[in-house]
Amino acid sequence: MKQNRIKTRYLVNFAALIVLFAVVVGMGMLGGNTMKLKIAPSVWQCSYLIIMAASLNLVLGFLGQLSLGHCGFMAVGAYAAALISLAFQRAGFYTEKAGAAFFLVLLISIAAAGVSAALLGLLVGIPALRLKGDYLAIITLGFGMIIVNVINNLPFCGQQGLSQGSASSALYASGLGFSNDEKMQYLWVAGLAVILCMTCMFMFVRSKYGRAIRAIRDNEIAASASGINVSYYKVLTFTISAFFAGITGALYACCNAALATSSFSFTNGSILNSVFIVVMVVVGGMGSLTGSVIAAVVLFLLNYTIKNGAWVSALPAFLQNVFTYPMLVYSIALIIVIMFRPRGIMGSREFALCDIPQWPGRIKAYFTSRAAGKAARKEGKSHG
Amino acid sequence: MITFIQFLITGLRLGSVYALIALGYTMVYGIIKLINFAHGDFIMVGGYTLFFTIPIMMNLGVPGWLAVVPAVVICACVGMLVELLAYRPVRKTGNNLTCLITAIAMSFVLENLAQAIPAIGPDPKVPYTLFAKTYSIGGVAVSQATIITVAVSAIIMVALYLFTQKARVGCAMRCVSEDKEAATLMGINVNHTIIVTFGIGAGLAAVAALMYIAQYPKVYTTMGATLGIYAFVAAVLGGIGSLPGAMLGGLLIGIVQSGANTYISSSMSDTFVYLILIVVLMIRPAGILGKNVGEKV
Amino acid sequence: MKRRKLLSLLLALCMTFGLTACGGSKTTEESSGDSGSAGESGGDTITIGMIGPLTGSLAVYGTHVQAGVELAIEEINAAGGVRLGDASYQLAVEIKDDQGDSTECVNAMNALISDGIQLVVGSATSGCTSAITSIANSEGVVLITPSGTADSLTTTMDYVFRTCFRDSFQGELAAQYAADEGYTKVGIVYCSADTYSSGLRDAFADACAAKGLEIVAEESVASMTEVDYTNQFNKMVSAGAQLVFTPFYYDVMGPYLVPQARSAGFTGVLLGADGVDNTETTIPDGADLSVYNDVMFVNHYATELATSDVSANFVSAYEAKYGETPNNFDALGYDAVYVYKAAMEACGSSDAASVQAALADTSVVYEVSTGTFSFDDTGTPIKTGVLMGYSYTEGDAAVSKVAVKTLSLS
Repeated sequence: MKQNRIKTRYLVNFAALIVLFAVVVGMGMLGGNTMKLKIAPSVWQCSYLIIMAASLNLVLGFLGQLSLGHCGFMAVGAYAAALISLAFQRAGFYTEKAGAAFFLVLLISIAAAGVSAALLGLLVGIPALRLKGDYLAIITLGFGMIIVNVINNLPFCGQQGLSQGSASSALYASGLGFSNDEKMQYLWVAGLAVILCMTCMFMFVRSKYGRAIRAIRDNEIAASASGINVSYYKVLTFTISAFFAGITGALYACCNAALATSSFSFTNGSILNSVFIVVMVVVGGMGSLTGSVIAAVVLFLLNYTIKNGAWVSALPAFLQNVFTYPMLVYSIALIIVIMFRPRGIMGSREFALCDIPQWPGRIKAYFTSRAAGKAARKEGKSHG
Repeated sequence: MITFIQFLITGLRLGSVYALIALGYTMVYGIIKLINFAHGDFIMVGGYTLFFTIPIMMNLGVPGWLAVVPAVVICACVGMLVELLAYRPVRKTGNNLTCLITAIAMSFVLENLAQAIPAIGPDPKVPYTLFAKTYSIGGVAVSQATIITVAVSAIIMVALYLFTQKARVGCAMRCVSEDKEAATLMGINVNHTIIVTFGIGAGLAAVAALMYIAQYPKVYTTMGATLGIYAFVAAVLGGIGSLPGAMLGGLLIGIVQSGANTYISSSMSDTFVYLILIVVLMIRPAGILGKNVGEKV
Repeated sequence: MKRRKLLSLLLALCMTFGLTACGGSKTTEESSGDSGSAGESGGDTITIGMIGPLTGSLAVYGTHVQAGVELAIEEINAAGGVRLGDASYQLAVEIKDDQGDSTECVNAMNALISDGIQLVVGSATSGCTSAITSIANSEGVVLITPSGTADSLTTTMDYVFRTCFRDSFQGELAAQYAADEGYTKVGIVYCSADTYSSGLRDAFADACAAKGLEIVAEESVASMTEVDYTNQFNKMVSAGAQLVFTPFYYDVMGPYLVPQARSAGFTGVLLGADGVDNTETTIPDGADLSVYNDVMFVNHYATELATSDVSANFVSAYEAKYGETPNNFDALGYDAVYVYKAAMEACGSSDAASVQAALADTSVVYEVSTGTFSFDDTGTPIKTGVLMGYSYTEGDAAVSKVAVKTLSLS
């Protein structure tokens, strides 16, 4: 009975994914100005934010370790993909961004981005994961800084190489950087990447590996006592997480005509920085992959509409002024979420379409249990 | 030889500031085990306060450095407010991780809030130069500010040490840092102690801001971010929670940075700072002077 | 307990809103601009788009461009607007914040285009601008970057123009000055992680090699907000550099770089580019002013040497409106709007294709606050540079900025 229910849940979710993918592909075919200027770039950005948040969730939510340098892996992926595509182009493998040859290069660069980031993740993970908690956070922050600093100073991909001058326009003209039209044309790549990556991550966390890392999160000593090789699983998760971060880097390189390391640095003030990805994971729920997906999309839309939407101008003037500082809004929102739901909005629950009919009941149960808790506390207080 | 002395002096100049900031970091971390990412931004608050108060002090005819008094007061207030509004509610419901994330968020709040205030804005401001005199030692110029910074750091380190060892509140702090529950049982008001810690930590940030702007006279809203990270690295390097460790770590980071500048590659100095941190943490996970405490089961 | 939590939250929110509410009055009046209809279809308003980093760590550049753009629009509107044929149009501006990030910049550009805007000013940095030049070109929207100096921005893009120098031109001017003055040993201190700084360094180094100047030492710093330059200048001194090229912005020149270079024992000329302008505003009170002697920089214009009074008028109008001295970002943003005005009036239309055609006419001369220029065939102004310097004599109250001479490539 229970087996059956889980099966139906998967089937329904899978069907929903297929429909979603069809919609994305359909949108890519449709054309139109709003589509081209607003929706297609948004789908691309959402796609990398989703994978990014989910991959960090593997480390932060499932393994319980805070990594503040996650964007460093993304940077490595982005530069690897861009350089490889440029190399193929210069070797004359493809001349225009269409056809089987280009598609092959696209696949190769995405895969290479993932692999190079994973290798680096392994390299960073082995020493870093000996530490835990705050120390790990600071050491991953340090690694993130080192990655950005090194990329800046590499002659073939630093300021003189890719992000500036002729090479940057070359990335657009002949490398991965897609124009708006090509973003439409290759919209299905973004959709497919999200679905494949998310499926892989789901399979990972539902497997025996996933159980092991959750055991480590909940109690490391107990986990190691019951025969789990703690450091092996930690490094494995970190590497897998870095792999997916690398893939997002490749998608980022597709989405942007110019690469600059400042986009990946810790102090970068935009939506794409290591801190903001942490925000997505925390808001969505540490330990809920679907939560990360929802949080990534919601926060992206929030960020996008604050800047470009009409609803901000409908607000009273003093609120509008607050919204001219988007980071202020996000950080306050983050603090509020943490205060009231320390494990994120979804907690470690996963979202399933089948469950929607049960939602009203659950919400009711949540409030009654809270009320009961309050009453119990009151009781306790009056006694004490 | 002269290059060597020069690089040492430059390292000392940078390091003395890091050391002073790291003292504040280590102080707060020692008590509540929270990396207060917003500490760098307390320095920004202190810097702006000094920018506005130094001219007032000069007009009143008193030495400009006395502006540190209002700066300490304002910073301490901001620090306590941050603790009250953000950290305390989160600490009640969350764990270390959520506290750390709150601290990061708080740092963004302070930076962006400062930018939103019209008197501050995004333009960098240049405060009055204090202690601008330079002395020549063996052909190498040493600024008065560097010497004062090192002296102030040392004095503060000793004072803090005595305070935590002798004073009533200081003892309470140590007690809270060892075991919160036990401290409550001993009749110590934990929340009160923590808020005092934040007040002192943020007050130290104001002193650090004074010495920082004496050496590097510019304040801007995001100045706390990188400064805070360096100082934090210094505190971790020296062994977080240890006052002499923070001092040592700060000076070491300054000297490593300056050495990497002079002898290796000047644009890669960040990399070397973090490499040193990583290497030290690999060898001594608790930092150079930190006590290695086994994890309780 | 819950109530106290809520209370503290409420208090915090009130504080935030209170603080920002008194701050943002400047931005609200702008957003009323987009109520005007887009393009020329709607009647009497033409809306220009502006993209720049208005918040975040690069906010200082974006907010200054914004101030210049707003001043220009205010002036144009007060003077009767833009005359196209018989009708006159008021200008409005739709402002987008890119936070100094290329993705946000792309979003902002796409949003402006889908709002029907045909003329865009932006973005403030080369990095962000390079992300949107391709969009401008493929969508047929004119883009004038006020301060994107990287050479490649305009070369392959027909719809992209700029009002500033390109890096290589400024670098060459600087090298030529060094050669003319008879220096033989030069040094460079720059930032390898910044497009502006490293672009200028490349151009300067290439020009030095061509002119036979020896680069005796070259040092880089990690970021444009670096605080300590002592070690770099120690090396310059020991390498015997007579002149050091320092492509940095004024916010580090005044408080950090110049005093530290002098105390490291460097007594020669510090030569910078247009970013050095306005260093006088960042000299700390109480500092030794004599160290600022022999700080030279290549600049767009000098009010003393200017043949027209456009720049003098700009400076006084700016000071009247904002109460501070304008910097180059203000001036270049201001100019971008005036260039648009001139182009629109020349072609009698505010449609992107005709404005592009008007701007692409290399014979038109624009007289704006940063000098008199015409565009070359890539869309970069052909300007003459001005060499300026700071001087201080004992007893002066402040450092004075003097125009030394006009520079042009030989």
